[in-house]
Amino acid sequence: MRPLSDSGARFLVAPASILAASALFGLATPGFLTLDNGLSIAGQIWILALLAVGQMFAITVRGFDISVGAVAALSGTLGVMAANAFGMPALLLAVPVGFACGTVNGWLVGRAGFQPIVATLGTLLAVKGLALLVTGDGQAVPLAAGDTAGLAFDAVIGLPPLGWAALACIALAHVLLRHLVLGRRILMLGSNPEAVALVGGAPWRIEMSAYQLCGAFAGLAGALMAARAGAGLPTEGAGMELQSIAAAVIGGTALAGGRANVWAVLAGAAFVQVVLTGLNLSGVSPFFAQIAVGAVIIASGLMDMGLRFLLSRLSRTFRQQGTFQ
Amino acid sequence: MMSKRLPGRPSSLRLPRPPAVALVCLGLFLLCCLFVPRFASFGNLENVLRVAAILCIVACGQAIVIILGGIEFSFGASVALASVVTVMALPAAGPIAGLAAGGATVIGVGAVNGWLVGRMGLPPVIATLGTLMIASGTAAWLVGGLPLDAPPSAAFSWPARGRVLGIPVPILAAMLACVVLHGLLAYGRIGRLWYHVGANPLAARLAGIDVARIILLGYAAAGAFCAVGAIILTSRVASGQPALAPNLPFETIAACAIGGLPLSGGRGHVLQVVFGVLTVAMLNNAVVLINLPVAWQLVLLGLAVLAAVGLQKDWAALKRLAGRATR
Amino acid sequence: MPASDEALLATGIAKTYGATCALRDARLALRRGRVHALLGENGAGKSTLVKILVGAVTPDSGRLELGGVPAAFGSVTQAIRAGIVPIHQHLSLFPELSVHENLSAFALSGGGGLWAGRRLVDPSRARGWLAEVGLEVDLAAPLGTLSLGERQLVEVARALSLDCRVLVLDEPTAALNAGEADRLFAVVRRLCANGTAALFISHRFDEIEALADDVTVLRDGRTVIDAAPIGRHSRETLTHAMLGAGVEAGPERLCARAEPVLAGRGFAGRGDTDITVHAGEIVGLAGLIGSGALALAAWLAGAQAGAGELSVAGHGFTPGDRRRAAALGIAYVPADRHVEGLFAPLSARRNVSISALGRFARLGWLRTSEEAERIDPLLRRLKLHPSRPEAEAATFSGGNQQKLLIARCLALPGLKAMVLLEPTRGVDVAARGVIHDAIREAAASGVAVLVATSDLDELMVLAHRYLVVRDNRLAAELPQDAPRAALLSALSGSIAA
Repeated sequence: MRPLSDSGARFLVAPASILAASALFGLATPGFLTLDNGLSIAGQIWILALLAVGQMFAITVRGFDISVGAVAALSGTLGVMAANAFGMPALLLAVPVGFACGTVNGWLVGRAGFQPIVATLGTLLAVKGLALLVTGDGQAVPLAAGDTAGLAFDAVIGLPPLGWAALACIALAHVLLRHLVLGRRILMLGSNPEAVALVGGAPWRIEMSAYQLCGAFAGLAGALMAARAGAGLPTEGAGMELQSIAAAVIGGTALAGGRANVWAVLAGAAFVQVVLTGLNLSGVSPFFAQIAVGAVIIASGLMDMGLRFLLSRLSRTFRQQGTFQ
Repeated sequence: MMSKRLPGRPSSLRLPRPPAVALVCLGLFLLCCLFVPRFASFGNLENVLRVAAILCIVACGQAIVIILGGIEFSFGASVALASVVTVMALPAAGPIAGLAAGGATVIGVGAVNGWLVGRMGLPPVIATLGTLMIASGTAAWLVGGLPLDAPPSAAFSWPARGRVLGIPVPILAAMLACVVLHGLLAYGRIGRLWYHVGANPLAARLAGIDVARIILLGYAAAGAFCAVGAIILTSRVASGQPALAPNLPFETIAACAIGGLPLSGGRGHVLQVVFGVLTVAMLNNAVVLINLPVAWQLVLLGLAVLAAVGLQKDWAALKRLAGRATR
Repeated sequence: MPASDEALLATGIAKTYGATCALRDARLALRRGRVHALLGENGAGKSTLVKILVGAVTPDSGRLELGGVPAAFGSVTQAIRAGIVPIHQHLSLFPELSVHENLSAFALSGGGGLWAGRRLVDPSRARGWLAEVGLEVDLAAPLGTLSLGERQLVEVARALSLDCRVLVLDEPTAALNAGEADRLFAVVRRLCANGTAALFISHRFDEIEALADDVTVLRDGRTVIDAAPIGRHSRETLTHAMLGAGVEAGPERLCARAEPVLAGRGFAGRGDTDITVHAGEIVGLAGLIGSGALALAAWLAGAQAGAGELSVAGHGFTPGDRRRAAALGIAYVPADRHVEGLFAPLSARRNVSISALGRFARLGWLRTSEEAERIDPLLRRLKLHPSRPEAEAATFSGGNQQKLLIARCLALPGLKAMVLLEPTRGVDVAARGVIHDAIREAAASGVAVLVATSDLDELMVLAHRYLVVRDNRLAAELPQDAPRAALLSALSGSIAA
């Protein structure tokens, strides 16, 4: 007998949670289970989804990136400044900015051997300060180059164009993780870090790429944030790092590394948004939503623990059957 | 060389590493004295210490958690929650009971974290980030997101503004916190066990230690230190603020990291915390005195953390080499 | 010896770490198509030599020749590419990935390219390698669903994808049961028949005699027996060559049976696992790895949860309640020193005093001078070297670290029983003697001792009687004067016990 593989189960938790939460809110508030509300939720999840997908890469190599919120704020702000100077397309400068921050994180963790939390805490503080400095003490920078509200809010076939763009980026992330060599190497590093060098890989480069991807996605999220707000917000993004970790973990990304699924992470981000919107529609204080997200973070952690515990029990019974026959 | 230990010499007073932080701290102090205008005045130095005091008290709590191999992100949120609870309780309970209620809240949040990490086996990052959200959400929810002013009274403002024998109460409290922490770490049974659990929780369990309880008590004790900080801070701002001290966890972790506490746990000395805190406080003060934008504080703090940890990394590598050589 | 026959030749290898000389003048000659056993005590330089061969460490001096051509490896990867493939206990496989991806790991991690699918090896070739090691598994199955033995065979199969000229098997059977080990040996023999050379490192004479063609013995960083055919020297000669000294004498006889102290019934829900250890007695729990001997011992010490009833000196406690067990006076030395035992960043003294803190505490405060007065004599008695109780445990050698764990046992207040798992695994000869003496002394003072080990020599010099574990149950009980052959056959179950 072989033990059950959990790879399927852990990635189904997020979709199942969405269904359960939707049913619950649907019963509590009549306005919740409507197409309009569904589309509204679908329009709002993308900033968190991009951050969560980035965070997923960091968690997959057994790390964390707690700087993603600050990186998104800095790169969004710099993107807006660039757009104001050179025209609209320069907003995408946010991505290389995020990538650069990710490179710093990745170098510190992969090459210099810092613990992920210390390294990303250092960059979190420095990046937060930089975002304030470039704007002269935290003033929002209006996006003067053009109006992005239409792109950000008017639905085309269900989603606003920027939503489609974010979805395309997330699909790219999926292809990268599942089908590209780099994705396979990231999974290998998370699965058995010591073995990577033995089979001829360069662990630190892979680890750095994971943090670079994380940074680039934070940059994308920053650009989207700026486009939605019509301004670069240097103080935005606090708390987003927590939500992104929550979404990634609910999406089945194993804290022990080596297991991840981009679509499940997207579902995890959607779940967080469903909870926030549902509470909002139920007329609960908006501050209560924050409490709910906190509870969701702890629950997602407990879920990961629970799955691992269950799995170890399964494999223990298996080992007894396997070894002592 | 005499290998036999002289009896009576307290081993715990010795630093586990050469006091590199102390040198850095002293160097920074001299630099500031020489190049930063108005730094070396008595009034400014007292101000530095006063600001450092709250950070120091809370960093003592953070140090316990780090020695346990964990990390505590919820301090800022629980301080905010404490300030809200205190101010809401003031009219009914009076200043002393109100402040006590606020302090108890912080200890409660710490104990919940300890329970989640110790008994439920959650990674500390996840557990404390979760309680951070819950505590700050609760604080905002209780007062509707807006600060709530406290009615002024002498007893209420004493923790922040009072003086005992001419020394400001916060500074006195910080010194007391350091002494208590040192006592716990060097001579307390529980403190000893924090090191053991931080160094190797599995081995501690097999040696017959109730690891979950030690962790719970550790996070609760950390909460107690943070509670003292919360009381002083609430008294200083004289209001319940749901967004009070959001950077407190980052600053305390930074202070401990600069002081040289490894986040892997099992090591740490109170002097490292003190020097780390003083370094952070002097950096912040110097930024203000040089008239740099305040945001430089964050940038410098971030760079200081990375530099300090980087330097200690090299040190650890050297030490490992030396250890191998003597083997 | 014809030169064309030579797969790998290492001569005059020396390596020093700081002030320690790990290898002085080692020589190793592997021949194609033959399995070569490498023997040596811990500290003899065996692991350093292996690390040099597989490219993990560069030697200070000496020559390496691969197939008659001088070679030097800068990294493990280079050595692997040259055809020296290591198989460790800690596998270089990826449990979360499929068998197919694991077999393609070299292609996936090296070089450029974009699409992972294109870098996977051809499925029919992959199946061919699996067939060659006698493994029938689905290529798409996640590796994590395979048993340890199967995973090891996957690792060997992956070696086939490279031009494997020398297979280095570093204690490959440590985590395998007998059936799995036989399967691995059959595969190694088949590979050797095709001209591969194999280097086999093991502590077990039975395995060495079953598998190896030649043997080399290292002592103190020098080769003392060089590539002798396996039948030439007796076990005693080889042991003598390894130790360079006489073997320890056996224990004195235990005359009268004292009162029972440690008792357990119904391990793993079975009836035939009743076990009783009496005061002053050393019981040797013998079992091959995978037999359940270590698990049974851990269960007795309260370190492993499960079914059954446990008691010490009449007080019952729940399996898995290690805290209560320790409070009742059961000391425990776990099998894996680093993972389960040592507090590496803490001082030697603190490593020892953890279980005795109650002795030095008044109202929760420790008296550190009293702690030093009580603990340091214990460390001196165990000849801790260097004798620095304040030094971090991480700075001591393996043998001295193990002494700290033994001292921790002896310091336990109200010590009634000691359960020791592999008490001298990875320990040098001198420390081994000290530890054995300490165990005997403890027993002589009335402590009930249970030693679980896969090291027969250790059992023979320590135990007053043997309990043999097979298939998670007690298969036989043998008296102190039972001959080695009887123990061996009881262990392997070759005769009905």
